[in-house]
Amino acid sequence: MKALKYAYYPGCASQEITKESNSTTRLVTAKLGIELHDMPKANCCGAGLLTDYDYDLYIALNARIFAEAEQMGMDILTICSTCLMVMSRAAFDLRNSPVLLEKTNKVLAKAGLHYSGSTKVKHLLWVLAKDLGVVKLSGMVEAPLGGLKVAPFYGCHSLRPSDALGFDDPERPWSLEAVLKAIGAEVVDYTGKTKCCGFQVDLVTEETAIEMTGTRLLDAKGQGAECIVTPCPFCHINLDNYQASAEKQLEADIKLPVFHLAQMVGLALGLRATHMGMSRHMVSAEKILR
Amino acid sequence: MKIDLKIRRFNPSTKTGREPYYQAYSVEASEGMTVLEALLEIAGKQDPTLSFRRSCRSSICGSCAVKINGFTKLACNTQIIPAHQKDKELVLEPVANHTVLKDLIVDFDPFWKKMDKVKPYLMPAEKRAKEVAVTQEDAAAIDDAQKCIMCGSCNSECNALEIEKRYLGPAALAKAWRLVGDVREAGGRNRLGRLSDDHGIWDCVRCVHCVEYCPKGVAPLTAIERLRARALEEDIRDNHGAKHVDAMVDSVKKVGRLDEAAMTFKTLGFLRSLGMIPFGLKMEMHGKMPHPHLFSQIKEIKEVRTIYKEIERQKNKKAKDRTKD
Repeated sequence: MKALKYAYYPGCASQEITKESNSTTRLVTAKLGIELHDMPKANCCGAGLLTDYDYDLYIALNARIFAEAEQMGMDILTICSTCLMVMSRAAFDLRNSPVLLEKTNKVLAKAGLHYSGSTKVKHLLWVLAKDLGVVKLSGMVEAPLGGLKVAPFYGCHSLRPSDALGFDDPERPWSLEAVLKAIGAEVVDYTGKTKCCGFQVDLVTEETAIEMTGTRLLDAKGQGAECIVTPCPFCHINLDNYQASAEKQLEADIKLPVFHLAQMVGLALGLRATHMGMSRHMVSAEKILR
Repeated sequence: MKIDLKIRRFNPSTKTGREPYYQAYSVEASEGMTVLEALLEIAGKQDPTLSFRRSCRSSICGSCAVKINGFTKLACNTQIIPAHQKDKELVLEPVANHTVLKDLIVDFDPFWKKMDKVKPYLMPAEKRAKEVAVTQEDAAAIDDAQKCIMCGSCNSECNALEIEKRYLGPAALAKAWRLVGDVREAGGRNRLGRLSDDHGIWDCVRCVHCVEYCPKGVAPLTAIERLRARALEEDIRDNHGAKHVDAMVDSVKKVGRLDEAAMTFKTLGFLRSLGMIPFGLKMEMHGKMPHPHLFSQIKEIKEVRTIYKEIERQKNKKAKDRTKD
């Protein structure tokens, strides 16, 4: 098999507020033989907010990220669903409009850059589910999760818009379930798994965001989940950091530990919880780790 | 081939129908048969009490949106054999985020009221204006938004509307962009002011469901993004949404990435940021409090700033050309 090599784009959140996701991804990929190459120049994708400001600026700044990956000769691997969606939409538009690509290159040229349009953007989840493959993944499991009841939480941006992302089925997604099964977890199904966590309006309409977060958590808990796993740091921020606020606002007891995808895979690969930054979570994961 | 369907029934005027329940039906499906054709077959030959809306049968009138296996589609635009094959079942339910009146029929009044709120008609200048030339580029900017058939699929799937009923919602906002983005419109600035108020453009949670489930390619989220950009161009900034965007734009220009601490402060302002202190302390205990990026710029930040400068230059030139016309 060809070596799995990627230009690594952890995204801003995972370099700061959820840095445990970044450090754990490095440990997990090293163990799985997936090479991550840093992108020291990479700027923020804009998380959708740059799109709200100026479409052309959003496209040009994302093309700058793609140009760096193109120079490295690798596809981009990210561990953030919002980065995935934002970059995929930009890559999709640039791929489908030669006029936009030419216009964008004129802007890039001022900074001495060029993008030819070839960069692909992938999520760690996709790399595990497909590039590496769940068969290979399950063969490397050292400490299967023993039927732990896990609720997969995709959120919005790892599934939609499906034409630009071009990977999973937004209505009957399979990738996260397949990875969870490969590491020995029991998958808990619930309707909220592909819906929004509310992150984008945390600072804008906070009550909506918190109610949304609480609704998803209660949905998963109602179906018997012992914990949640998400491929997105922003979903993690809401489901974990805001869980106490959701308990208060919805007058409910939730206490559902939330894991980053890499952490859950790391547990199955035999990595120690203390090496994966789990003490950084607001909701204690202790009852699961015991 | 025989295909089994389950349809959610509800009829508050009868004793048996007061609580919603699912009723099983079966139709003989031929290749290409649509969900609407199956519904017509059931109502015509098996059960005349089944209620649903329909008219044109060709994805133009926007009457027949229903949930098909959990997601909103036009019944006339969805074939039953592939839908059944994919999910091994076929469950029909009324659209979400609306009150059900009977079976698959919902109360659409809130939809129209939201539409009314954006004044869905062009408002040209009061004084008789000279004729306005519409270029192909001008038309293209609102072309997608014009395709809306008001079926309500986007509002049914909208995650923000699910929580906040007062939100204007994607359908009305796509219509708003169709007008604000029209070069013949004279009331754009006033509209943008109203749209920036509570439960307008900044309530969108960017869940992208409206884009995914619009049967006509309207992409309401794109319309909302354009409205937001236009509101900022008009300097309508007195709301958390606009401040949030401004903070991001500044942060990327300054350090190349998102500076979470500065984002919170700039979006919420001094007083509301003070209210975040207890939450911040709890995060600090877990080592999660974001600290400002005083020195950690990305490499070659100059390239980013050059890109900003070039885009601003182009924008200013465009604005100048517009006033020249």
